[in-house]
Amino acid sequence: MLNKPEIQQNRITIPSDPALIREVDEFVESRLRERNLSDTLIADIAICATEIVNNGINHGNKQDLNKTVTLELKLDPEQVVIVITDQGISFDPERVEDPVDPRNLLREVGRGIFIVKHLMDTVEIDRAQGGGTVVTLTKKIA
Amino acid sequence: MKLNSREQNGVIVLEPKGKIMGGPDATVLKEAIREHVNQNAKNVVIDLKEVDWMNSTGLGIMISCLKTVREAGGEMKLSNVTDKIKSLLTITKLITVFDAYNSTDEAVAAIGKQ
Repeated sequence: MLNKPEIQQNRITIPSDPALIREVDEFVESRLRERNLSDTLIADIAICATEIVNNGINHGNKQDLNKTVTLELKLDPEQVVIVITDQGISFDPERVEDPVDPRNLLREVGRGIFIVKHLMDTVEIDRAQGGGTVVTLTKKIA
Repeated sequence: MKLNSREQNGVIVLEPKGKIMGGPDATVLKEAIREHVNQNAKNVVIDLKEVDWMNSTGLGIMISCLKTVREAGGEMKLSNVTDKIKSLLTITKLITVFDAYNSTDEAVAAIGKQ
């Protein structure tokens, strides 16, 4: 069982502990800062990365510490690609209620994927090999 | 996230600093609001000047705080909302839920006037 974040170059793997989301944010931000991206771009990408990792920890892996969430950054000259994989149950974005429906505005959850779709250029959600969900985000940076 | 708390003209001003994105942040802000409400300090301004950004978990925390204050019969305002957070509030239409002011002085002055 992984009991702390494991970093290998542009990849971080964490156990499904919500308290570790800060480590993911710091990892993403530090890698993006090396590329001298604007503060706005860095914030947008970090927000979306933490959204999807949060989903993986809480909804996919159900905070099962035996399961991990892995985030991999691919920094191309023209775009950033982020691939986030969990080991839990598959995620169906169609089942999320519309968070901007007036009836849902005071709900405390359910906005993550909605925000990600607004801030990223593309969002792909697939079933991971061996179970779980793999989410691929892209953001143009040039 | 760090949290400073002070009083201004009978209104509790909470000043979080850093990023609000879940994990331990969730309990820090919610507990602070609950403590003040339990001590009958029902009117709150959250000054977001030092908050770099928040994600949907952070927005959920703000909604939870708003509900706690309203249920106690108080008011909650936001002040010094950064452009990044303002754009998130706009995207999610939460700009229609929260009362946001350009300064903490304005937010404090607006308490009790609606």
